[in-house]
Amino acid sequence: MIKTIQMSLKIDMTYAINSFIYHLKRLPILKDLMTDHIYQNQLLKKLIRILAIVLSMGRFLLFRFLYFFVIYWIACFLAPTQVGSAFVHIYFVFAIIGLFLNNKLLTTSTKKYFSIILFHMDAKLYMKSSLWWDLFSSLILNSIFIILFGSVLSFPFWLSLSMIFFSFFVRIIGEALNLWFYRKWGYLWYHNLTAYFLILGILLVCSFTPYFDLFIPNFAFYGVVLISGICSIFSYYYLLKINDYKLIYQRLNTKNQAMNSDAQKAYSRQMMVAMKEKDQWIDSKKIQGKKGYDLFNTIFFERHKEILLRSARNFAIFIFFVVVILLVFVLAQDGVAKNIHDFLLNHLGWFVLIMYFINRGSIITQAMFYNCDHAMLTYNFYREPKVLLNLFKKRLITVTKVNLLPASVLALGILLLLYFTGGTTPLNYVMIPVFILVLSIFFSVHYLVIYYLLQPYNQDMQMKKVSYSFVSMLTYLVTYWLHDLEMSSLTFSMVGLLFTISYIFLSLFLVYKKAPETFKICS
Amino acid sequence: MKLEITNLKKSYGDKTILNGIDFTFESGKIYGLIGRNGAGKTTFFNCLNEDVDIDSGYFYLEDDYGKNPLCNSDIGYVISTPTVPEFLTAKEFLTFFIEINAERVDPNKTIDDYFELVQIPKEDQDKLLKEYSHGMKNKMQMLINIIANPKVILLDEPLTSLDIVVQEEIKNLLKDLKSEHIIIFSTHILELAMDLCDEIVILNHQKLELVEKNHLNTKKYKDKIIQSLRDSSND
Repeated sequence: MIKTIQMSLKIDMTYAINSFIYHLKRLPILKDLMTDHIYQNQLLKKLIRILAIVLSMGRFLLFRFLYFFVIYWIACFLAPTQVGSAFVHIYFVFAIIGLFLNNKLLTTSTKKYFSIILFHMDAKLYMKSSLWWDLFSSLILNSIFIILFGSVLSFPFWLSLSMIFFSFFVRIIGEALNLWFYRKWGYLWYHNLTAYFLILGILLVCSFTPYFDLFIPNFAFYGVVLISGICSIFSYYYLLKINDYKLIYQRLNTKNQAMNSDAQKAYSRQMMVAMKEKDQWIDSKKIQGKKGYDLFNTIFFERHKEILLRSARNFAIFIFFVVVILLVFVLAQDGVAKNIHDFLLNHLGWFVLIMYFINRGSIITQAMFYNCDHAMLTYNFYREPKVLLNLFKKRLITVTKVNLLPASVLALGILLLLYFTGGTTPLNYVMIPVFILVLSIFFSVHYLVIYYLLQPYNQDMQMKKVSYSFVSMLTYLVTYWLHDLEMSSLTFSMVGLLFTISYIFLSLFLVYKKAPETFKICS
Repeated sequence: MKLEITNLKKSYGDKTILNGIDFTFESGKIYGLIGRNGAGKTTFFNCLNEDVDIDSGYFYLEDDYGKNPLCNSDIGYVISTPTVPEFLTAKEFLTFFIEINAERVDPNKTIDDYFELVQIPKEDQDKLLKEYSHGMKNKMQMLINIIANPKVILLDEPLTSLDIVVQEEIKNLLKDLKSEHIIIFSTHILELAMDLCDEIVILNHQKLELVEKNHLNTKKYKDKIIQSLRDSSND
């Protein structure tokens, strides 16, 4: 088993070092200094290895410290007078959450695909060695920080010891339970989102009971540690009894699920925007009388209705519920109305950020590329300026319509909230909703324009253009900066409106002039 | 050595892909598996490799030591799009593989011997696999499967998109291997199958059918295969 752990670490380390050198080699000056034989240089690899070990140890220590610090911080917040008891309580509940969620054996990873499928490692031995490596490293890290926080909070020796071993025991129980469930039902329990959120919700609520002076009594804690210790023995016995690990790993870590970096992202992107079965058949009335690009665009939209409309519809429903809840609060509690009223009239910048997040432009353009353009762009006629612009116009209307659905619900919600929290001037009643709708149009135009001007994907839908990522990041940064800008809503909406309208015209002009050259498949 | 398949059935929903396959493959021959698009060739391989659950059926491997159920470790599965650990060099990949599988690897062969077998030159051995071409990655994938010495080698269109020289190299390699392995080679290219394979098997009517050559000349044999494939689409 030690040999398997060593081998596994050796492969991981070599992989990480090579990956580091590869990315280093792509930097401007280093690119010329490093030749293709760089991977033979053992001295360089040794130096990077030492650096990598120091960094990963530092990272492990930092993350575990943060974990304990968060528990400590929540304990201080929930029960300032009984921090120690609250700390133990939260640690206990979090460990149980870990039992359900911190599952290493059945998670999908490229590493498992390489180890079991490509390198033909003995699957059971791999399971045992990776489990013990995790348990052992967790035991050491937990010991360090439980001793540290235990000394600050004056924990008795037996309590600290029990805490250290409790998380050790529940990890083994968790792995066995998850494996038992998977073998019995053929799927991972947490793929059932209802069950996942239900269990997580109940446990999170349990972790907050110290706020109401409800703690797990010490005797119960010791009792549970003892029982979990016994259960962990049976659980480990169960893990050893299973012999079809190879099959389990093979089923969970398929080539597609465990693919390499770029390819994996491209695959997830493709899956996200792939046509849904129920959209295969189009209602003939929808395409009646249409021809040319109008027909082409309508067919595309109808065939991808589910992808294009689903999240816009979900956002609209979500916004509706948030507005209803806020209205209930406004009517039920004093003071809430004033806060909401002030927020709506002085922090309109927040809505730029909200509109940025709810806009579906990015996913729609991905769907366009994967399901249409990556094939059509191989034909020269498709890139003729007239064709391109005609389709661009049709698409712009479609994208805008999709995004206007959640935007209209939001605009209406703001109007209602403004009305029920004290009202405002007629000009505000008009300008704020108009601004929301124009923002929606702005983001629709923006995503479509950068798609046409900076089309970033190659044939396999891998992102190949840095400029696209840069503009996307810049969009987010500007949006984020705006959210905190304090300005009266009237001024903000006026300025925003003028800017947006100018931007839309400028972008359309740019697409008209440049898109025939820029809209192509990346090599 | 024989690979015996009995009553293999596999359906996806209402669609039956494999319907009670009974077939025996033997070592010493390369079998060309041919079928129309969507006939179920990859599904057949996935069933053998236990990548998917089968509805029914048994796989047995019979050799000098007797007849035993086919194990996953008996199979080497070469897929058409090779997946390799892209941030390892070819040499590192091979070294780690040999270390892990020391018990199955021929101790008399060195790493250089293996590279020579698939003709990967010295200057490419220390390159990252990420920088390898499709054909080179394919060769590495093939090499790994050969070193592991599986009794059954499944090849799912492994020569697609390889240049002619690499194709020839791999074809020769497979011919060298056939005496000690059961090799099943799936392809859409009939000429390739007829050139390389000793037997042609068609996946027809959800079953495997051996197309007997019966002293036919190449042209007549080819027509017979195409006719069988046409028949399958007319059902």
